[in-house]
Amino acid sequence: MADAPDPAAANGPSAPGGPSRTAAGGPSLLLLGIDFHTVPIELRERVALGQEEAEKTLVHLLARSAIAEAMLLSTCNRTEVLLQPRDEEEAYRAALQLVFLARAPEIERPGLLYVKRDHGAARHLLGVACGLESMVLGEPEILGQVKQAAALAEAVGAAGPVLRQLQRSALVAGRRARQETAIAAGAVSLGYAVIELARNIFRDLDDCRVLLIGAGEISRAVARNLAERGARQLTVANRSPERARQFQELFPTAAALPFAERLAAIRDADMVIASTGADEPVLTRRQLAEAMGARPSRALLVVDLGVPRNVDPEAGRIENVFLHSLDSLDHLIQRNLKRRKEEMPRVHEILDQEVAHFYGWYRGMQAEPLIASLQKQAERIRRQELAEALHHFPAASHAHLDRLTRSLVRKILHHPSNRLRGRGGPEHLPRLDLVRELFRLDDADGSAAAAAAGEIAAASADESPEATAYPEDRAGSAAAEPNAKPEAE
Amino acid sequence: MQILLRSANIVLPLAYLLVAVAYGFVFFAAEARAQRAAAPALRAVILLHLAYLLGLAAHWRQFPAATESQALSLVAFAVAVVYAFVEWHGRERSTGFWLVALVFFFQLLASVLARPETPDRAIFHDPIFAVHVSLALLGYAAFAVAAAYAFLFLQLYRDLKAGRFSTFYGRLPPLAVLERMMLVALIAGFVSLTGAVVTGAFWAQRLYPSDWLHDPKILATVITWAIYGLALVLRRLRRWQGRQTALASLAGLATILFSLVAVNLFFSGFHAFL
Repeated sequence: MADAPDPAAANGPSAPGGPSRTAAGGPSLLLLGIDFHTVPIELRERVALGQEEAEKTLVHLLARSAIAEAMLLSTCNRTEVLLQPRDEEEAYRAALQLVFLARAPEIERPGLLYVKRDHGAARHLLGVACGLESMVLGEPEILGQVKQAAALAEAVGAAGPVLRQLQRSALVAGRRARQETAIAAGAVSLGYAVIELARNIFRDLDDCRVLLIGAGEISRAVARNLAERGARQLTVANRSPERARQFQELFPTAAALPFAERLAAIRDADMVIASTGADEPVLTRRQLAEAMGARPSRALLVVDLGVPRNVDPEAGRIENVFLHSLDSLDHLIQRNLKRRKEEMPRVHEILDQEVAHFYGWYRGMQAEPLIASLQKQAERIRRQELAEALHHFPAASHAHLDRLTRSLVRKILHHPSNRLRGRGGPEHLPRLDLVRELFRLDDADGSAAAAAAGEIAAASADESPEATAYPEDRAGSAAAEPNAKPEAE
Repeated sequence: MQILLRSANIVLPLAYLLVAVAYGFVFFAAEARAQRAAAPALRAVILLHLAYLLGLAAHWRQFPAATESQALSLVAFAVAVVYAFVEWHGRERSTGFWLVALVFFFQLLASVLARPETPDRAIFHDPIFAVHVSLALLGYAAFAVAAAYAFLFLQLYRDLKAGRFSTFYGRLPPLAVLERMMLVALIAGFVSLTGAVVTGAFWAQRLYPSDWLHDPKILATVITWAIYGLALVLRRLRRWQGRQTALASLAGLATILFSLVAVNLFFSGFHAFL
């Protein structure tokens, strides 16, 4: 039995009725998840949620009074639920049961489920959006999946102000990581490595004529990648006409040729992808040299994906022929992966900035009722003093005085309000209770304004609960469970 | 006026340096903002440079190539103009760092060698001479730009052939684009040099009717012109591939350097004005 929260370690749940916040001044967040690091694919498949299931699960989660906001991210490599709990212990139990145990009771085994809280949970979601937690570092699809998860939470009504802002921060971090760093640069799969090579030779993939020798699985996968990137002129040459026909069903615009005509087709091709099961080369140096001699002086990219090799390695010596085998593609992929890893510190910097931005936003939200009280009090004093002073001045100047005093009050309160919202450095935020005391804001006006400021305002009035400690959160638990992922914090 | 011209000696290299840094961000970091800013900034600095050269011509009332400093500044200007044209034609900004860095180097040298006085020489008042020198400089600048693209082309060609993937790989435009930019620069250089040879012949025939054909620099220039002409014809006839054209471009630049340096050092002729 693992992953159950330890009530004895908890210093008391949050006040019921509103979302909780942490002692550090951030919102209380709870993330439970499994991914490819902790769980084999068979289990991940069972836990993975389709769109409809995810929708239903979110509705069930929200029906629990312990959960204020929820979001579900389910892909082939991970299933994670992110909550803003009112009662952390109850929220944890509900999410564990509804999302994980109901589908795979084995998840209870130690080390399979990871739990992150508060700052760790926020940072984890941003890291996921940046592709730092992906199986292929920096892969781009995850950002779209986070976006979909955010849209689903929004559609179901499971996203409140906190998760909505956190999702926004995650999407911004994901976009920035891809724009400002090379975390997603360079191909890291076979198909995209072929595309990367082509892009280093030809101006535009749209105009490239691609000859595929062999119509097997690898050939189809590469053709799919090429078609996705704009290559439209595909021709397949295969020994078996039946396989070629199957290929054409998948790629209706592709032309099919008898295998014997492949050499003639090379004269018009820009790219040749060879992936047959032949034991002997299907393209010799002499054949390629003849084909190159019969065509205008254009580059030819030849990618040999066959084992044993389909193209005579000596053919790479021919002028303007760029011959690449599985080995050189792997070399390229490893080089790109290394470059992506080198970008990780820069992505972490972006994460730090966006997490800080999120916390700044949250603290600012907490300050809104106080700012409203402050402004209301200042306005009351202004009106009072103005009313007493106006009879000393001619009536014609009353409007001017009104504008003047309004402007004075606005300018005096501008900087304190900005500081209270956390602009200009959330790390130096003034203590809200001190401000309240300094300006005597705990009177009837202040309370009324605070009451009107809604859910977040109520949260700000709560006492800060100390964090509930779960077994896998505690220092040393990672050592006890070697499979457990360490906290991102 | 002189204060303005003197301050240009500081402003111009500084401006080219800033533009080179912007292009450096494009090449090394693929910075989107630098990508947007670099080309307009270069055009603005070229206009400033043009204003400086016109200012020099107006102030000294002669073609602004009468000193080493002025000649080098003219070379920097010509390289910048040719690069801006090739960049505009190829719609490709990732190679600018190398060329603008070269421009900065020439302009810095020009600024360091700048002297307050310029000798008044009759030959620099001749408009045909001015056209001849301008076309020759433009031609040589274009050939230098072509050689830079030839070098980059050969680097990428070698990387792609060997599957080695050096620092250049992934940062340069595709081979086809590099070849196209090299060819555009070669054609621009060939046209300019042809114009320079024609105007030079016309001008020399007028001033030195008997012996101008024996001048070693003219001989080297004609050889250079022939090398580039042959390379362009063979490329046009598709007898040569990109790699051979790139090698010919580098060989052409070597001939130019020979004609500029070695001929001046080891041969004597009328064709020396500085």
